[in-house]
Amino acid sequence: METASILEREKELYNDYVRKWKDEGGRVLGYACLATPVELIEAAGLLPYRIKALGHSETELADGEMSLFNCSFCRACLQLGLDGTYDFLDGLVEANGCDHLRAMFENWQHVNKLDFFHYLKVPHFFRDDSLAYFEGELALLKEHIETQFSTEATDQSLEDAMRGWGEVRERWRELSSLRELEEPLVSGSEAVALEVRGSSMRSEDFARMLSRFIEERKNTRGTKPAARLLLCGPATDEVEWFEEIERLGGMIVADTLCFGSRAFCPAPVGGGEPLHRLAEGYLSNLFCPRMYMEYARRKEFITQTAQRARVDGAIYIYNKFCDLHGVDSVLVRRDLEEMGIPVLVMEKEYSAGADIGRVKTRVQAFMERIGGGA
Amino acid sequence: MMEKGYVMREGENGFERAVSILEMVYKFPDRISDEDVDGAANFVFPELENTVLGLLELEANRGLEVFFFRKVLDIFKEAMRAQAEGKKLIFIPFTFPPEIFWAFDNIFPLCTEIVSGAIVNICAGQGERFWDYAMGLGLPDSLCSGNTIGIMSLLMGPGLKPDAIVYNTPGSCNPNAKIHAFAADYLGIPQFIMEKPVDESARGRELNFQYLKKLVKDLEEWSGAELKEERLREVMERSYRAVELYNEFWELKKARPCPVPNIFSMTLLVLRSQLWGREEAIEVLQRMVDISKERLRKGEYAAPEELARVYISYIYWLFDFYGYFTWMEKKGITILGDILAIHYFPPMDFSSKESMLRGYAEIAFDYPMTRQMGASSISLRWLEDISYAAKDLGADACIFGGVHACKHTLGTVAFVRREMMKRLGMPTLILTGDVFDKRHLPMGMLQEEVEIFVDNVISKRKASSRKKKVGAVEGGE
Repeated sequence: METASILEREKELYNDYVRKWKDEGGRVLGYACLATPVELIEAAGLLPYRIKALGHSETELADGEMSLFNCSFCRACLQLGLDGTYDFLDGLVEANGCDHLRAMFENWQHVNKLDFFHYLKVPHFFRDDSLAYFEGELALLKEHIETQFSTEATDQSLEDAMRGWGEVRERWRELSSLRELEEPLVSGSEAVALEVRGSSMRSEDFARMLSRFIEERKNTRGTKPAARLLLCGPATDEVEWFEEIERLGGMIVADTLCFGSRAFCPAPVGGGEPLHRLAEGYLSNLFCPRMYMEYARRKEFITQTAQRARVDGAIYIYNKFCDLHGVDSVLVRRDLEEMGIPVLVMEKEYSAGADIGRVKTRVQAFMERIGGGA
Repeated sequence: MMEKGYVMREGENGFERAVSILEMVYKFPDRISDEDVDGAANFVFPELENTVLGLLELEANRGLEVFFFRKVLDIFKEAMRAQAEGKKLIFIPFTFPPEIFWAFDNIFPLCTEIVSGAIVNICAGQGERFWDYAMGLGLPDSLCSGNTIGIMSLLMGPGLKPDAIVYNTPGSCNPNAKIHAFAADYLGIPQFIMEKPVDESARGRELNFQYLKKLVKDLEEWSGAELKEERLREVMERSYRAVELYNEFWELKKARPCPVPNIFSMTLLVLRSQLWGREEAIEVLQRMVDISKERLRKGEYAAPEELARVYISYIYWLFDFYGYFTWMEKKGITILGDILAIHYFPPMDFSSKESMLRGYAEIAFDYPMTRQMGASSISLRWLEDISYAAKDLGADACIFGGVHACKHTLGTVAFVRREMMKRLGMPTLILTGDVFDKRHLPMGMLQEEVEIFVDNVISKRKASSRKKKVGAVEGGE
């Protein structure tokens, strides 16, 4: 089955797709935050590669730099940067996503310096003044990439990349509608697996992979889940963790995850120059708790997702020490529960196998509460 | 007679309770005897004994701290009165210079972290109930007690509430920004933001100035009154009179033994966070300078010998004044400052509203914590500033009193420690606890670690260095 083979392949960060790209002389640029416009990287002829850890839980080297009070996902990614796993990258784009992420990038650069390193400074609110600054930031990133890699991101290549990623977002919407069916044809863990895989692909290949997958699934029959779940939370690529939740009988019919549906929200908008459209589309559509003065918009995004997917309950997960999601989870729980949607908030460690028993017990209890218990 | 265990009074919140208890500072005589200090220490709740002793046991700082706390009480009462009379009460974080708010006719600023500090050091229970309330709401335990305690005391129950909240820490401190935004959302009050761009280039500084102008415009619209040039000038001129004293104070700390009492570090922090731009800051700072000068003249020091001069490379822990400041001083350990004591004041052009706002924007950009944690490189900016301060003041070593909420520094301190050793040969003791909640690391454990560090690292290094010098002199003879 397609999904199974994707998951099989995705145990390696330097996967077959990236290897082939590199073997053919391609360059790879790593980034971590959704505020980084992949269109810009692709337009310059590079492969955008989203930093991930694929469930690697070792953090020995990273713990020598960061503390145990830092997010275990960031430490896991740093570990892979320090132990050489990420040496296939030709550069890194840092963005000020959160305190943990900034520390991860800084330590990575101090210990295992890459030739290209660029700090994309992303404002924390959307306003005319912050938008103008962000547009300038994108221009600086473009210039730096062009100089470093002796390449050019022309207006035409930017238009092409925007069209390519627009196609990916369109396919994702189609995939999401298959998840939201009464008898879903795609599970939540499969959707996240596809995003994890696609986040190290160029747009045309990602869109093609999604199309193939959708076509395959359209010819199958779904089953009615015991409970329809919405999964909210941060950047996490733990597909196996989601599978464990779904094995308990509930299906994640919608999500607002950073390695999930939220990754497809930033998109060029309006008219004008390509960089302006990218800047506006990204800064105004992050729906991330790193953004301030925007809780009302995040709430709308989450509640609309919940209503569209007709969920029975929501699970809000975040990694220990994540204050951004930890604080937002209180407001989200309050607002979803006011709508009659029960919410389970779960703080966890990244890829902590030892923790899975506790998680399963809590999810089982929650499923019983919402009437989906096995 | 107050019943032991009594925590709150009907209708009061944590802040108001602290104000009620603080009234006792007006009961002290002008000349305070050891008996007065003992009496006060025995009168308060047991966990607050160290507040009294920390402020008053050492004769050198006794009078100053009573004078200072009277000023703090006056400001707190003025805040309550101001709101009752129709002024807007606005909460600001300790990462933002308060001057601009004093310049508004109808806005009264209260610093969230100063409110937390007052509750922790004045009220029975040291604010733990407010922290626990936050946990009860489902907030993560990795938040910062520095602001969470103060904010929860307002959210919980009756009493004074802010009319709006301002914060400037998105991107430089997530816990600080999130809890301020949360409080505004939760209370349904306006929130104003001034992000510090993580960009030290001219472009970043210009954006910072534009953000400030937008903030001023928003505050004017919200409060219904214009920021007047003359009023701003008065405040900024007072601010810069305090700057002259601050510079003098800094120079005094270089003397050996250090004539500045350790507890003055806390006093300076409160002055800068809450009172700067007002006459009271100048009055208190002037006394601090005068006392330190007098001690320098007399060669006074609390211990027989100054064993170690330490720079706190992050922030002080503030839940036990005696256990932290006084204990170290009596042991011969001088606290030279922390990251919050490093201020950059650019030359100020008082000629117009625009020029003063530009100057103020620069102060805000380089304000402690905001400057380092909101830099394009946290670790490099922090390292640069700490190296400068530690070297300039003649520190023997650094102590990093980590705060579990501060992910930015905890995520980069390993690098900073290594570089401090490499560049300056200066060792750093790393501890992790909390600024206001003793449950993370009790003061006794900090004391034990500090004592071992001083005995085994600082003293031995100094002895070995002395030996080398003597050897070199003898060899030369």
